[in-house]
Amino acid sequence: MADQAGRPNVARLMREIEDQVRQQRRTRLLARGAPDEYRDAEIFAIVEDVLHRAVDQRDLEALLIPELLDADEDWELQLPLRFESHRRTTGGLILFVKKRILRPLMHWLYEYSLENFRRQRRVNRLLFASIEELALENAKLKQDIAELKDGGIAERTGRQGHA
Amino acid sequence: MHRFGADIAGGSEGHCRVIAERLAERHDITVITTTARDHMTWRNEYPAGVSEAGALTVHRFPVVRQRSIRDFADISTRVFRGGEPAAVQEEWFRMNGPEAPGLLAYLEAHGHEYDRILFWSFRYYQSFFGVPLVAERAVLLPTAEEDPAIRIGLLNAYFTKPAGLVYLTPEEQELVERYSGRPLPPSCVVGSGLDQPPQPSTGALISTGIARPYVLYLGRIDPNKGCATLLRFFTRWAKESTRAVPLVMAGPANMAIPADDRIRALGFVDPVVREALLANASLIVIPSPFESLSMVLLEAWNHCVPALVNARCRVLKGQVQRAAGGLYYRNYDEFVRGLETLLRDATLAQDLGRSGHDYVERNYRWSHVMETLEQFLENLAVPARRTIAQPSS
Repeated sequence: MADQAGRPNVARLMREIEDQVRQQRRTRLLARGAPDEYRDAEIFAIVEDVLHRAVDQRDLEALLIPELLDADEDWELQLPLRFESHRRTTGGLILFVKKRILRPLMHWLYEYSLENFRRQRRVNRLLFASIEELALENAKLKQDIAELKDGGIAERTGRQGHA
Repeated sequence: MHRFGADIAGGSEGHCRVIAERLAERHDITVITTTARDHMTWRNEYPAGVSEAGALTVHRFPVVRQRSIRDFADISTRVFRGGEPAAVQEEWFRMNGPEAPGLLAYLEAHGHEYDRILFWSFRYYQSFFGVPLVAERAVLLPTAEEDPAIRIGLLNAYFTKPAGLVYLTPEEQELVERYSGRPLPPSCVVGSGLDQPPQPSTGALISTGIARPYVLYLGRIDPNKGCATLLRFFTRWAKESTRAVPLVMAGPANMAIPADDRIRALGFVDPVVREALLANASLIVIPSPFESLSMVLLEAWNHCVPALVNARCRVLKGQVQRAAGGLYYRNYDEFVRGLETLLRDATLAQDLGRSGHDYVERNYRWSHVMETLEQFLENLAVPARRTIAQPSS
């Protein structure tokens, strides 16, 4: 299995591996009670391809949904812990105690939570990416249907004109 | 360079050192760096001032602030989310360090005395603040990886400033061009060079008690290098498979390694053992999600050893595809298929290893690397230097 330059054809090897893995995964999921539609290997491959694009190829910092939510302060996880106080006189002392005494004491808990919040943020972004990929697929299908309709109408109109 | 020394293990640091040493065969080279050795704290450890390191003159400047990992993590979280003002973004580079204002003052006062000034790694203080000071003769090697730092807004304009850019791989070039989104200075792609591998010592492998076949991981054992995933995948495979072979891990460990008969962690190994391990491995596995150039991959190919790499790292996947020197995986199932294919099909593994070797032969021999780099540096339109540099402490 060599390419034109006589080297091993890595693209073909990887396609074979990916096909084998897809088949194995489909069987496993069906055995666990996945949707019946997955019995159709072609449908499963299309679904996997759409989700792979979301997981592997999308830049999670270049997504549409966060842009649309821009005006909403409450949708995004706030990761860094910010210390603020509205008290004019005692504010400085409170901040000092929080920053220099309480935070070092609670550091282990803070780090643990932060790491999990980071993971949650990533999951959120992956979900946004998946939804966006589905919306893209939907948009392309709509375009195709519209073109087919226009083509069909044009074809019918053309036939009527010739008649 | 943010830190410099023969005892410093690090990708860009090692690259800078070998390139500087090769350039010094035909040019006067001064390394302008800091007194830091530890990349976490930037503690001052080397003496400040001018010293010699072989053919190189090394000029070190003290670091004025140690890095606070906690504060740096906080500002990173804020800056990586985007939308922070320029002052906060600049502060990120200052806090990343190593903050050595003396180095910047020296560049400002004496930069014009050098023909070219090469900066390694955009993310560090000396590169971010230094390039604009000597932009007309600055050549930046960004060593960019697909991590959040590349998205910092200020970098869009920053990458346009140097007279030239040197990338380590086409993927790095594509990454920087994608994020900067504007015309960039002239550039070239140059990796690092390799010599022909030495004749492997059979005794060295015997001394470790390791016998073929084995899968090799070489380098720092660290979650950031994808080792947690590798260990999880490997231990699962070792439990499920009757054909499992040992995983040999050679490198300093920054994480716990599970107690398993089939995992052999050797810690830091000397160069002779390293070469013997490479020469005798059935395959090398590289699980890192972020790389700007994988030297270990090239070293494995130098020994005709095929590779199994993390496909989520575009650089690794790109190198493997260009070289036809291995396989790649995105998940556990693909990891197992790739691993078993390479272990089971000896002819295929041999062909992939040989193809990787041919790729190294074509692109990564020192003569080729230095010719490409020197030609690029020579052809850059930069103003002539004004006086001979005489660094003083």
